[in-house]
Amino acid sequence: MATINTIAIIGATGNMGSAIAKSLSKPGSYRLLLMSNDTDELAQLYSQLKEPNTGTEIYSISCAREASWEADIIIVATQNDAEKEVAEKIREVATGKIVISISNPLNSAYRQLITSSDTSAAEELQKLLPNSKVVKTFNTTFAADFISSVIDEKTADVFIAGNNGDAVKTVSEVVKSAGFNPIIAGDLSVSRTLERMQLLRIRYTMNNSYNWLAGWKILHN
Amino acid sequence: MHERLLSSIGSKIALNETAMNKLKQFFIPKKIRKRQYILNAGDVCQYITFVEKGMLRSFTVDDEGHEHVVQFAVEGSWISDMASFLSGKEALYNIEALEDSEVLNLGTQAMDDLMHQVPGMERYFRLLMQNNIIALQRRVVAYMSLSAEEKYLKLMEVAPDIMNRASQQHIASYLSITPETLSRIRKQVSNKK
Ligand SMILES: NC(=O)c1ccc[n+]([C@@H]2O[C@H](COP(=O)([O-])OP(=O)(O)OC[C@H]3O[C@@H](n4cnc5c(N)ncnc54)[C@H](OP(=O)(O)O)[C@@H]3O)[C@@H](O)[C@H]2O)c1
Repeated sequence: MATINTIAIIGATGNMGSAIAKSLSKPGSYRLLLMSNDTDELAQLYSQLKEPNTGTEIYSISCAREASWEADIIIVATQNDAEKEVAEKIREVATGKIVISISNPLNSAYRQLITSSDTSAAEELQKLLPNSKVVKTFNTTFAADFISSVIDEKTADVFIAGNNGDAVKTVSEVVKSAGFNPIIAGDLSVSRTLERMQLLRIRYTMNNSYNWLAGWKILHN
Repeated sequence: MHERLLSSIGSKIALNETAMNKLKQFFIPKKIRKRQYILNAGDVCQYITFVEKGMLRSFTVDDEGHEHVVQFAVEGSWISDMASFLSGKEALYNIEALEDSEVLNLGTQAMDDLMHQVPGMERYFRLLMQNNIIALQRRVVAYMSLSAEEKYLKLMEVAPDIMNRASQQHIASYLSITPETLSRIRKQVSNKK
């Protein structure tokens, strides 16, 4: 029996943070550390997850540094503009650890990315955390997909990009545990494409007034 | 977060500011809770672990389900299943935190890189391995040839701190005696004083 990995979710009470937490709370998969500044919402999320999953070790922690210190894998689920502040808090304790970037650096109208074309939110996070293994994933899913990862009878694909092979493999397992089909897309710079894929889909969804239960699927035979 | 580690290394090799900052990058800082395992027997031991704060133990479980404590590690000491770490084969030991602890984990690749990139680290690890062998030999000899009371007194002498912090059951297991024998020896020893 392998020791199970501990995952810290920074910004656990947000749309994505809570959706990811729910999808990973099945007993036997992971120890979960839920971090949020909002203690009331955090307590609510904690009992929501803990009651049906008494076998899972779940803790709520109000400090990003403490949660990351105890973790093997850190998911930064805050809004994109809070990442710099979070990175500064966790830099030292995230040394050698996997840090998952889920963000899409959208402008306020959701119509454009604020990053230039020669970089991505994931690569910027890697610059802020030079001693960590940043891996991009979950950015091409909507929060709603975590409730039902099977859409139109197909399990949605989730893309993964990162520079460290072992870290990418570990993250593939996380993606699988969350109910999705992991697809390893390439090194961290592929995040530029992945972040733009989500922009494309958000614009498409808004332009057509579709709902948010939608995902990417690569079809091949 | 690295104070004990730096003083452990600094006591064996000369470390300047640059080397100190450099070497921190190779260690993964981890907080672990009391009763949490960092290694299960049967897995490969991926790290050697330095204890900054708290206490851990390594132990085996025999076919009858009895635990045998191999080592206690407190602040400033290292713990791992060295055979598994070096060979990449399955670990025989379990490693469990006996107190809420703060550790620094060093992986195989990181250890290699560290020895290449920070002058003196090869020497530090050589000394560490030497000390390991000495401790191991002492433990084997004590196991084979000392009486229960002698083993107890020896541990009291070299590690009084562990005696105070570990449970009676774990200390007895470490000394390969029953908890009853341990409590009898404790009484005898305190009566002699
Ligand atoms: N929503 C989606 O469907 C979706 C899909 C793919 C990717 N993403 C990406 O996921 C990320 C989160 O999006 P979201 O929709 O989940 O946003 P959200 O609902 O606003 O959640 C963000 C959470 O982060 C918390 N937070 C902000 N600053 C923090 C800090 N310094 N420390 C700790 N927590 C902090 C917020 O707490 P407070 O409210 O208390 O400030 C909030 O709970 C974004 O980067 C987004 O691009 C979202």
